[in-house]
Amino acid sequence: MVLDRLLDLAERAVKTALRMGAHQSQASSFILDAALTRYANSQIHQNVAFRSGGISIRVVLQDKRMGDIEAFTLEEEGAEKAVEDAIRIARASRPNPDFKGLPEPMPWGPLEGAFDEETSLCTPHDRVQMVREAIETAHARSPLVRAVAGNLSTNSAYFAVVNSLGVSARASLTTAGMKTTVISELEGSEGFSTAESYSRRVGDIDPAQLADEAAERSVKGVKPVRAQLGDYEVVLSPLAVRALFTYISSMGFSASSYQDGSSFVRYFTGQRVFDEKLNVKDDAFDPRTLYMLPIDGEGVPKSRMKLIASGEALLDGICYDSLRAGRENKKSTGHSPPPIGRRLLDRPVPYNVVVDPGDSNLDEMIEETKYGLFITDLWYIRPVEPTRVVLTGLTRDGTFLIEDGELSKPVLNLRFTDSMLSALSEIPLLGEEVKTFETNAVPAMKLKKIRFVGVSAY
Amino acid sequence: MSQDFASFILDEASRRGASYTDVRIVSIENEVLNIRNGSPEQVELQGLRGFGVRVIVNGSWGFAASVDLNRDEAVNVVKRAVDIARASSRLKKRDVILAWEDARRAEYSTPYKKDPFEVPIEEKLEVLMDAERSLAACSPLIKTSNSYYRGYRERKLFMSSEGSEISQTITWCGGGIMAVAVRGGEVQVRSYPSSFRGDYSTSGYEYFESLHLADHAEEVGMELVKLMDAERCPSGEMDLLLTGDQLALQIHESCGHPTELDRVMGTEADMAGTSFLTPDKLGRFMYGSKNVNLVADATVPGGLGTFGYDDEGVKAKRVHLVREGLFVGYQTSRETAAALDLKESSGGMRADSPLSLPIIRMTNINLLPGDWKAEEIIEDTRDGILMMTNRSWSIDDKRINFQFGTEVGWRIKDGSREALVKNPTYMGVTPRFWGSCDAVSGDDWRMWGTPSCGKGIPGQVMYVGHGCGTARFRRTRVGLI
Repeated sequence: MVLDRLLDLAERAVKTALRMGAHQSQASSFILDAALTRYANSQIHQNVAFRSGGISIRVVLQDKRMGDIEAFTLEEEGAEKAVEDAIRIARASRPNPDFKGLPEPMPWGPLEGAFDEETSLCTPHDRVQMVREAIETAHARSPLVRAVAGNLSTNSAYFAVVNSLGVSARASLTTAGMKTTVISELEGSEGFSTAESYSRRVGDIDPAQLADEAAERSVKGVKPVRAQLGDYEVVLSPLAVRALFTYISSMGFSASSYQDGSSFVRYFTGQRVFDEKLNVKDDAFDPRTLYMLPIDGEGVPKSRMKLIASGEALLDGICYDSLRAGRENKKSTGHSPPPIGRRLLDRPVPYNVVVDPGDSNLDEMIEETKYGLFITDLWYIRPVEPTRVVLTGLTRDGTFLIEDGELSKPVLNLRFTDSMLSALSEIPLLGEEVKTFETNAVPAMKLKKIRFVGVSAY
Repeated sequence: MSQDFASFILDEASRRGASYTDVRIVSIENEVLNIRNGSPEQVELQGLRGFGVRVIVNGSWGFAASVDLNRDEAVNVVKRAVDIARASSRLKKRDVILAWEDARRAEYSTPYKKDPFEVPIEEKLEVLMDAERSLAACSPLIKTSNSYYRGYRERKLFMSSEGSEISQTITWCGGGIMAVAVRGGEVQVRSYPSSFRGDYSTSGYEYFESLHLADHAEEVGMELVKLMDAERCPSGEMDLLLTGDQLALQIHESCGHPTELDRVMGTEADMAGTSFLTPDKLGRFMYGSKNVNLVADATVPGGLGTFGYDDEGVKAKRVHLVREGLFVGYQTSRETAAALDLKESSGGMRADSPLSLPIIRMTNINLLPGDWKAEEIIEDTRDGILMMTNRSWSIDDKRINFQFGTEVGWRIKDGSREALVKNPTYMGVTPRFWGSCDAVSGDDWRMWGTPSCGKGIPGQVMYVGHGCGTARFRRTRVGLI
């Protein structure tokens, strides 16, 4: 029903554009029903729901002048006005030689398991119940637990794409995510930890399990000491691996960064730059990824792409939309952001990244470490020298010294500044379980060496 | 129609048991133009109209919003907001209390001479094409050249059950240029007037014209080329001088965010983090040296964080955060101000769209001008580095340890610029860093505007400003890569 309405709106917009003189036209319409319950200090402080919706229109004139409009309207009148505006700005623009044509229609099919009815019907009262379970579980774990914070979201997204060359595609998706951060306190010293879970089905999320995990680590985290700066062997929980690969994949494998020269793939293709155990793909058909969508924002079917194979970063892993593909006379790989995400994402990036698992687990990784660090999460990662993948960032929500195979003491958050080409060149162990996050699914990982240059203390 | 629609919502919420309601009806126009390597990469208009309803029921907040502005949807949204608040109240520890605020009926617009939305797109594209062409022509090493323009207008009606009715229009625009040079595996970047798409001001099209992008293109391009052959930034401890375009972000990250009272009170613990500036430090903690005076000022003409009233109907004001180095104030909302027994809100609540819940956002966080001239600071420096134009930034979740990188640096020896250095970076610990600030300039003080401050869940992107000139920080760790 919702998808029929969106498809109809997009079809009408494309027809209107052609009638007004467009040579080619594309319209993508969307509805997002979003709900979020946020808690802190062991009570709810923010509880919201909103319906967003709109239509994105691209018109192209005969001489390749283009105009784009993003209008948050679902009314036919509003869509018609948006088409008029798109034509107006296209006429004011200049020809774009990178434009080689809108995508041609290609076969695609809906993906099983992308939409979950229960998630789409989740009520504020359901969410409050889950939050209550998390808060009560964390406090029951220890009297040292001072406060529980976090968020629980459920979203239903629908979009349709139509273009004047015959593309007509639509998709729907539900997502649910929960993050619980627990703050413990002993004699004025705080310990933090966090746990997260994402799924297309809210029923898969276990609030008590998340709270338990975060509470246990936060209690252990009180009275952190200052660790020496320098190189450490590190055991990264899946949360920390998620943070690293979010940057590596979007910096390295976006056509935007490849074309402006900042992607490391441009300079190291054909070489084994990472440990040969490292295999990474972008695959929207893998059920372990959250955003299981069969098509992209231009209606192009998603491709299965290998990004890193046996430690080698692959040129074939660069992700394109049609305009950036046209710049290199290539075809889109199906990575134009869907209309729902365009406000936050304006370039093609892989968002179904899966890092292949190994056969280890966190306990074994810690046991096999004589002297190192266990890192729950990494925070505020930024590229310092993108072509050498030099990143800086900090540990967060639970960092522990490992001595003789055991977590010996909590340490203050540390800043790393290092090249990931070096840090990921030796990965002694990979976890056997792949955890799903928003744009990637990754296992735990042990790295032989990463360089820490600063500490968060004064 | 808007006032009637808002009144209808207020009545409906009251009928359904809300003890407090506010409604924002907002329309946003956003024009984004980008020329890349001679072609229009982005010629885009965005339009958003919708409404958001915030209620207190049983002492708890609820919020719902929609893009469908009709009475049926208004009833649905109110029902949803009230239902959400009731659900939240099942897990409350205490009732929401709001600091007192007078009910106001007011109108406000940021002033401008030339309406950015009345200037033809053709004219703007001509300026951008011209600037980009000049930039690209500087050297074959320049592989990517960009010029940017953005014009933004937000019209808001705020009405509350306390009797406020405020209409305001915020208009801002600006732009910039940026080039990327590549040689082998090395990439350098240079921008003007600031990185990440330029600089913005609550002004009209006259502000974009005043940037004279094409006139600066050659200087930017030639410095970029020189940067490729420059020495790398040395490593060690030395005096660090920051120009305004970098200092603005330093203020943003290490003073702006940690003085947001929602962070301090733990409500961002799951995302942005908390803050080292805990309430026990208010009025007691030396945040910086005596040269450091920081204010949150939503009233500065042209500031990107300038407005008439915040999204709780609080009149724009100027509050001290740091006075002569002493930490003296927070950025607050009505709720957080009341929780800390403060007399009134600092007027910092803003939402980035009608669909978003207002949260505490920076207005213009300004380092007040000092007595120095920028050149005098350089002349007074025996051994140091001058860094300008941000390239990377990272700071921990309590806003203590930071590391920044800039596009370009100058080695300062015996009071003069000795040589250009590339890949400059520096690291510090917030109170120690600001404690080492021994010189602040006044002659090059100006407002800088960034339209991309991220915060909150779901993520919101807000426009904020920072006023500053050049400042010196003694014995800072530089050259981390």
